Amino acid sequence: MTAEIFDRGYRRYDGERTGLRGAAKTLVTHSIQRSLGLHRSARHKIIPFALIAFAFVPALVFLGIAAFLPFVAEEGFIPKYSEYYGLVSAMLFLFISFVAPDLLCNDRRTGMLGVYLASPLNRNTYLVSKTAAVFTLMLIITLGPNFLFFAALSLQGFGPGGFFAVLKVLGQLLLSAVVIAAFFTAIGMAISSTTDRKGTATAGTLGAFVGSAAISGLLVEGLGYSTHFRLLNLIATPMQLAPRIFGEPGEWLSSENPSWTMGAAVVAVTAGCASFVWYRYQKMSVTR
Amino acid sequence: MSAPNPSPTPLAVGVDVVKRYGSFTALSGATFTIHSGITGLLGANGAGKTTLLGMFLGLHAPDEGTLAVLGVDPYQAGADIRAHLGYAPEHHTLPGDVLAADFVRHVAELHGLPKAEATSRASDALWLVGLGEERFRPMGTMSTGQRQRVKLAQAIAHDPTLILLDEPTDGLDPVQRTDMLHLIRRVATEFGINVILSSHLLDEVEQICDAAVIIGDGRVLTEGSIEDLRGTGSDIIVELETVDAAAAVASQLQQLGHRHQHLERVVIVSGDDESVFDITRDVCAAAGAGIERLSRRRFSLEDVFLEQLG
Repeated sequence: MTAEIFDRGYRRYDGERTGLRGAAKTLVTHSIQRSLGLHRSARHKIIPFALIAFAFVPALVFLGIAAFLPFVAEEGFIPKYSEYYGLVSAMLFLFISFVAPDLLCNDRRTGMLGVYLASPLNRNTYLVSKTAAVFTLMLIITLGPNFLFFAALSLQGFGPGGFFAVLKVLGQLLLSAVVIAAFFTAIGMAISSTTDRKGTATAGTLGAFVGSAAISGLLVEGLGYSTHFRLLNLIATPMQLAPRIFGEPGEWLSSENPSWTMGAAVVAVTAGCASFVWYRYQKMSVTR
Repeated sequence: MSAPNPSPTPLAVGVDVVKRYGSFTALSGATFTIHSGITGLLGANGAGKTTLLGMFLGLHAPDEGTLAVLGVDPYQAGADIRAHLGYAPEHHTLPGDVLAADFVRHVAELHGLPKAEATSRASDALWLVGLGEERFRPMGTMSTGQRQRVKLAQAIAHDPTLILLDEPTDGLDPVQRTDMLHLIRRVATEFGINVILSSHLLDEVEQICDAAVIIGDGRVLTEGSIEDLRGTGSDIIVELETVDAAAAVASQLQQLGHRHQHLERVVIVSGDDESVFDITRDVCAAAGAGIERLSRRRFSLEDVFLEQLG
């Protein structure tokens, strides 16, 4: 029996094309996979999976306590849902510091942006797709562990009582996770839009978070300035907004930092960063 | 497969296209018509070629004038037109850790192909450009020549009507360059895909293009088929067997009052109608000069380019 190799030549494609929706979906999927290191060598998987794993660790520890030491849990040792973000805040800003530069800077540095904009995507749909990818990745950390925490606690009898109470907590969980993910996404993308060097963007993002916390602390705690300067702290502000979403006071006194000022600060930073990214990409030269 | 079918609708038509970036005018009233086949956008670096390619893709709107690609305004049509275009950018810095097959498949999916079809066609496209065995290599490990081929593969994988190639031979050595030009010619003639390629290299445009649009200082200096452009001269050239014979012919033409130039064995006679042919032939016969060649003077694209630049 002999084998024959047929040259299929160039084939026409007359099938349906998925258009803009398909292109956007492809870009979102590809970006998420790339960021998680899928279809890439092992070293690209280490940081994202380690950070995601660390974000789940507190939830798993407290669930273990609730399961095996219920008397400890009953004494209030288990943190509130709103407090969970504080436990994983380092994972949040470390994750965004790696994810956003990986997804934005590389496209400009390697010229992929030009290839993307030669597809059905345009600058706006490209940005929307990239934002969706970064936001989805952030939700893995903001919503994932807390939702697991909530679901498992509820099954063990430590959750809210009654259908509407469950719905209310679910809504609060979703809202707080979305707000925090959007806030970090916007900051990470804004800093990543200023350079096509991934390392620079990562360092800049980490610097912005750590620096803002240091400056805010110096102004309020060191120099005794108004407590409104706490809102400069890019890590603590969204973390302290979360308890307010759950109707709890949090660590900052309501009299010193009313909820509306915290909400306004988070919205302003998110919207400002998003506008900045949009402006940067409108001005960007892409055909080379 | 066959060459692109001549279409009643030109591939691209620009009328008085103006594009400014702040105080810099990249295109200052470009008017052109590009038909099916392979067309070269020819011009020095900074002439406006890449700007024009970007406008074909609908990335920038003209500040003045009108532009149509495949019969529609690319800036307005946006996603719909770009699904049928392929584009290979000039730069070579593709994502280094991505496999060539994954990259081509991803671009095919972006242009609307379902995943299975995109995977299959990506593999086919890489085979067709000669990278079948290399398709599972990360692009960062490939040579410049191989990366240029990957760029061509991603441009054709989704079966576009038209591909735009920005300096497709940039960075290639002479052998790779010849191979790439052959491949581009094959894309047009065998795969039936129209090609617009930008280049500052006159000989490569002359070698593979059916037509050229010559751009300088943001304007279209001239355009047309390569044959027409090279036939722009209105002279007859006669090459004689000896220098003396050429001198005798030149002398007789002088007596008859015909404008001409005499360069060793060659005499160039002004005018290219039949009567000039007849007179030149008769003069050669009368002088007893043996003719080695009698034809219309052929210009190289370089002659045309330099003449247009003044």
